[in-house]
Amino acid sequence: MKTVDLTTRIKGLVFKNPVTVASGTFGTTGEYAGYVDYRKLGAIITKTITIKPREGNPMPRICETAGGMLNAIGLQNKGLDDFIANKIPYYAKIATPLIVNIAGESEGDFAKLARALQKHSRVVKAIELNLSCPNVEKGGAGFMKKRRLMKAAVKAARAETDRLLIAKLSPELGDVLEIAGEVLDAGADALGLINTLKGMAINIETRRSRIANITGGLSGPAIKPVALRYVYEVKKKYAVPVIAAGGIMTVRDALEFIIAGADLLAVGTANFVNPRATLDILEGMTEYCQRHGIRRIEELRGSFRHV
Amino acid sequence: MKRVDETVTIQENKRINGKYYKLVFKSARLARGVQAGQFLHVQIRPDAVDPFLRRPFSYYRIQHDRIEVLYEVLGRGTELLAGLGKGSHLKIMGPLGKAFTQQVRGKKRILVAGGVGVPPLVFLAEKNPVDYLLIGTKSRAEVLPKKELSKVRAEILHATNDGSYGVRGFVTALLEKIIQKEGAECLHIQTCGPAPMMNAVMDIAKREGIPGEASMEESMACGVGACLGCMVKTPEGWVPSCIEGPVFSFDRLVRTCA
Repeated sequence: MKTVDLTTRIKGLVFKNPVTVASGTFGTTGEYAGYVDYRKLGAIITKTITIKPREGNPMPRICETAGGMLNAIGLQNKGLDDFIANKIPYYAKIATPLIVNIAGESEGDFAKLARALQKHSRVVKAIELNLSCPNVEKGGAGFMKKRRLMKAAVKAARAETDRLLIAKLSPELGDVLEIAGEVLDAGADALGLINTLKGMAINIETRRSRIANITGGLSGPAIKPVALRYVYEVKKKYAVPVIAAGGIMTVRDALEFIIAGADLLAVGTANFVNPRATLDILEGMTEYCQRHGIRRIEELRGSFRHV
Repeated sequence: MKRVDETVTIQENKRINGKYYKLVFKSARLARGVQAGQFLHVQIRPDAVDPFLRRPFSYYRIQHDRIEVLYEVLGRGTELLAGLGKGSHLKIMGPLGKAFTQQVRGKKRILVAGGVGVPPLVFLAEKNPVDYLLIGTKSRAEVLPKKELSKVRAEILHATNDGSYGVRGFVTALLEKIIQKEGAECLHIQTCGPAPMMNAVMDIAKREGIPGEASMEESMACGVGACLGCMVKTPEGWVPSCIEGPVFSFDRLVRTCA
């Protein structure tokens, strides 16, 4: 069998394959190391880091839904200082490019986070801006609906870092195509499409929400068609790199996103169901390419046929 | 450390009384070094998205590579599981989580069990010297068959809500009697079961100053500490019960209103 070149390049960064993990679904340090050799992944995207530690939302935080799940974790994390002291050294030992996901409550927060991570540019290869968390008041999707603030956040981060800057968006923010243009103008290099969609589930016995936060972010196969549509539309309109996320469970899902034009594929909720989902997708991708005589993944990327 | 996610073949999966089903399969890797209180994370239909998430189940009994799980049908996942026959496949991660303290020295040990909390405590009592095993159920139909408890050397006491087996009322009434008889200072409690039962047990333990452990049950997604869904409140904040628990010392648990 001929080897398949899965190398993916984004603005000078080289990823040995397009498979990465969606923020918040792969822990912060080695939670999946017993199941996945992190060196085999194209990149690793961390759970969202904020300047100060965040306690997170009350319980229950998750609930299963048809073909997916709702979550309202509330960006629980130990904060920037802990990340730099305890997590950066862990990733420094792994050659896989690290993408750090950050969120803030003001443009100043984004600037401070980007500035701090820039100092660790040997390890931090890219910064992903979480502009679309549905589960927090300040700094979440609701807050970012004020477009001016969102653009300011991107600009502020851009001013502090030369790292690949990814803006992660959600249809919750408004018209994705319009917003994509705005964050690109503000200095983003790439787009993350899509974050979770805000949803709800009610326990009919208690008449209470199944999530303490009442609403939560819907993820999993249920949102895949929506994610695919946005990746396709954005790639058609703007020639920018896209990190696709939304219900990528199997190699079939992954290939659909590649054909639609995605550059990186962020496997998310699938990790919770199958801890080896990323590696299963990688193996399946090579197999598919071999079967179709594709030698480089580049040949497949964006090869969608309109007729 | 390399972790196990293995496809197993069901050897047995049948109802054993009015409450429990018994699932049996073989796996040397999933059986290795397991202690009572640890759990398995089961993908009930490995090639389907319904049910979407895995379900955690306590280990019940291990003989060499033979693993037994007792479960109740409580929702969609366990309903589908109950429908699977011999020869069906499950994908299982395990052993996961922290176990109960196996050896407790210088104390009389009381295990307080209810519902899905019975299997891990029977496991604990089969493997370790224990003084009392208190089991609370709704009625006689839910009491485990005698042969399932034949290897437990502890004094086994039952409480049923309707009084159809053992004493009438809650299992906590049995606990109060033992405390009166033995004196609180020499006791140690380990409990697993529905939240209201465990809360009542912990209230008594706190009042009497009795140390112990509780196995917490929360909805779970990943089972490896990544999703932060199955959180339990401790003095240091929310921690994932899948890796920091499910067994917690009483003094690490901060009560929250559900």
